[in-house]
Amino acid sequence: MESRVSAEVSFSVEAGLNMNNKNDKKQRLPTPVPESGPANPGRRRALRLLVAGLAGAALTGRTPGLANNRGSAAWERIEPARERLNGATPKDGAIKLDLPGVTQDGSAVPLTVEIDSPMSEDDFIEAVYLYAGGNPTPELLDVYLTPLVGRARFSTRIRLNKSQSVLALARTNRGEWLAGDREVRVTVSGCLSRDDTYDFDAVMRTRVRVPERLEPGQIGEVRTLIDHPMETGLREDGEGQPIPERIINEFRAEFNGKSVLKARLYRAISANPYLRFPIAPNGSGEATFHWTEDTGESVSESFRMETG
Amino acid sequence: MGLLGAGTLLAAGGLRVYAGRPSHAHVAVVGGGFGGATAAKYLKILKPDLDVTLIEPNRRYYTCPFTNLYLGGLRDFESLGHDYRELQEDYGVRVVPDFAEDVDVDGRRLKLAEGSEIAWDRLILSPGIDFRWGALEGYDEAAAEKAPHAWKAGPQTHLLRRQLEEMEDGGTFVLVAPENPFRCPPGPYERVSLIAHYLKRNKPRSKVLLLDSKDNFSKQGLFMEGWEEHYGEMVEWVGLSNDGRVIRVDPDRLEVETEFGTIHRASVLNVVPPQKAGLIAHRAGVTDESGWVPVDPNTFQSRKAPGVYVIGDATEAAPMPKSGFVANNHGKVTAAAVVADLEERAVPKPTWANTCYSVIAPEWGITVANVYEVHDGELREVPGSGGVSPSGAPADFRRNEARYAEAWYAAISQDVWGTRPPG
Ligand SMILES: Cc1cc2nc3c(=O)[nH]c(=O)nc-3n(C[C@H](O)[C@H](O)[C@H](O)COP(=O)(O)OP(=O)(O)OC[C@H]3O[C@@H](n4cnc5c(N)ncnc54)[C@H](O)[C@@H]3O)c2cc1C
Repeated sequence: MESRVSAEVSFSVEAGLNMNNKNDKKQRLPTPVPESGPANPGRRRALRLLVAGLAGAALTGRTPGLANNRGSAAWERIEPARERLNGATPKDGAIKLDLPGVTQDGSAVPLTVEIDSPMSEDDFIEAVYLYAGGNPTPELLDVYLTPLVGRARFSTRIRLNKSQSVLALARTNRGEWLAGDREVRVTVSGCLSRDDTYDFDAVMRTRVRVPERLEPGQIGEVRTLIDHPMETGLREDGEGQPIPERIINEFRAEFNGKSVLKARLYRAISANPYLRFPIAPNGSGEATFHWTEDTGESVSESFRMETG
Repeated sequence: MGLLGAGTLLAAGGLRVYAGRPSHAHVAVVGGGFGGATAAKYLKILKPDLDVTLIEPNRRYYTCPFTNLYLGGLRDFESLGHDYRELQEDYGVRVVPDFAEDVDVDGRRLKLAEGSEIAWDRLILSPGIDFRWGALEGYDEAAAEKAPHAWKAGPQTHLLRRQLEEMEDGGTFVLVAPENPFRCPPGPYERVSLIAHYLKRNKPRSKVLLLDSKDNFSKQGLFMEGWEEHYGEMVEWVGLSNDGRVIRVDPDRLEVETEFGTIHRASVLNVVPPQKAGLIAHRAGVTDESGWVPVDPNTFQSRKAPGVYVIGDATEAAPMPKSGFVANNHGKVTAAAVVADLEERAVPKPTWANTCYSVIAPEWGITVANVYEVHDGELREVPGSGGVSPSGAPADFRRNEARYAEAWYAAISQDVWGTRPPG
């Protein structure tokens, strides 16, 4: 696949400003200035990158996560998944992964994970681990759930370097392991590829949608997004210099100070990390969302939610 | 080969079954669009003694390509219409003006809406797309009468044009673009370009807003360059990460709601809805859970039903886009594969090409081109085979590209329908 050089696509980001009207409530830390590259703090700049997605992974030329024993279960082929299981055998096919069978844009592949669980205090899914064995680093996302989500289901967008199977492992509060996987074919389409530019002024801007009012026992839905390049550390800038890794690596959702969902994000989560998940609050109160960058910078937002 | 016996019309319990001539193979083709009409013609070119029946309900086919020029006031609608006279008169294709309702794969029969049946030895389906009504909340067939899709050429295209003509100066035209895959990846962007052209001329205080469920789109850099150059602030694109994804349509109020809760109100609302393969592909049982048709990449024979070939927009042929150019290529390659199969010869090694021209303003065109092949059993772009037009190209370069677009339209219409000059 060839890379193409073209004009900076800055127009889009400016013209597209269309902020959530809850923004005035936001407690936000100052936007960090990128440390590398031809930085020009204070002025908006677009960084010209090679190609979308993890294509820069070709720089590493190997896929450490993928062992050479085809034919075995997906969880057996991915080393960090085997380590995570630590000898346990998961119940295969117990996790539903919703992903397109074919995608022409490996830089943002929509993914929904769903597991059949009552999500009650004594029977719930406590953790979900996602892997893409064909990526330069297989880890995608670790998600820690609590009964406050009401349902074991969440969505995000991931980067897939090439055709491969995406694996999910899940652990119940009783220590049982579940697994599920799904093949995705990634095709490179010149019709869709573009130069990936990024507006650093928008970094760490958040969008959140929470239900303002729920009936008792009703499960609502939360959508969150944070503007962030999720720089993989595997790409070069226009001058051929490697761009250091810079990602959002943690997200937390709390209700009245208790964890609803916590996530560890890896570099294969798409730019502008998106998470959509259910919430089943036990009364009225405050929902708070925190994002943390690997630089240590963080952002939080809080919303009032009424029940009844 | 299982050829049927005597007669062209068999009486079977009062049922009219058309089977072609005895001892001649009979290929039925469903759909007289870019894919189907091409396949029918090239079957006869490659094997003149073949019996070919084309089933297409419309006596005149209007192309989606260049409807955006019509909407922008650059082209007359009738110039987009083509018919089947060449296929019938010059190539001996039997054209049946009917709608294929069902396929019996094992019995190799096609049921038509008017009640008759067609017995085939090989079947080619090129039904194009259908819409997933209701998949986008609030957007069903009734909603399309208020907020048109105009993603099939015909009454919907006229409706959208009328609404634009009636729109007040200072209004907002909103286009809602879907996730991949969908018919004509650059189509929504060409459409807003040419509608901006119309508004700039006639209603210069108006706005054009494109709400997108994607962060990347076809020829993005070139489109944005063209918008800036020709329309400045008038055109605004809001991508997925800027809350561009629409999750609900209110056709009565002409409002849409995005996933983070922004309400946009339109003067004219154009919704390009989520799509799937045309109905007959589902009836034939050749689609998968994506709603599209998986095919053998060498022949475009269905992976699920032997003897049934599917081409054009209905297929899962990524990375090839769902374009008329590609459907025309599918038609030729698959005609060759069907003839080889009937003659029990090896299937020739296929390649396909695509060029998508988009017109951003009069005399201002851009292009993406690629060549495709089968590699390790899968379709792919031939590495280094294509590309997009350069950015920052001078005006005469863009003018030439707009002229190539016109020439392409004339040439492909000629190739598919043998369109004669109006007269
Ligand atoms: C706005 C717009 C602009 C476009 N611009 C371009 C462009 O510039 N260049 C380009 O290459 N492509 C363009 N396209 C894409 C192009 O229109 C499609 O890719 C092309 O039409 C696909 O061909 P097809 O044969 O698969 O389907 P179609 O051309 O849609 O043909 C399907 C035919 O099958 C018939 N049919 C369906 N079901 C049945 C049935 N059961 N029985 C009998 N007949 C049936 C239909 O009546 C129809 O005539 C554009 C599309 C749009 C919407």
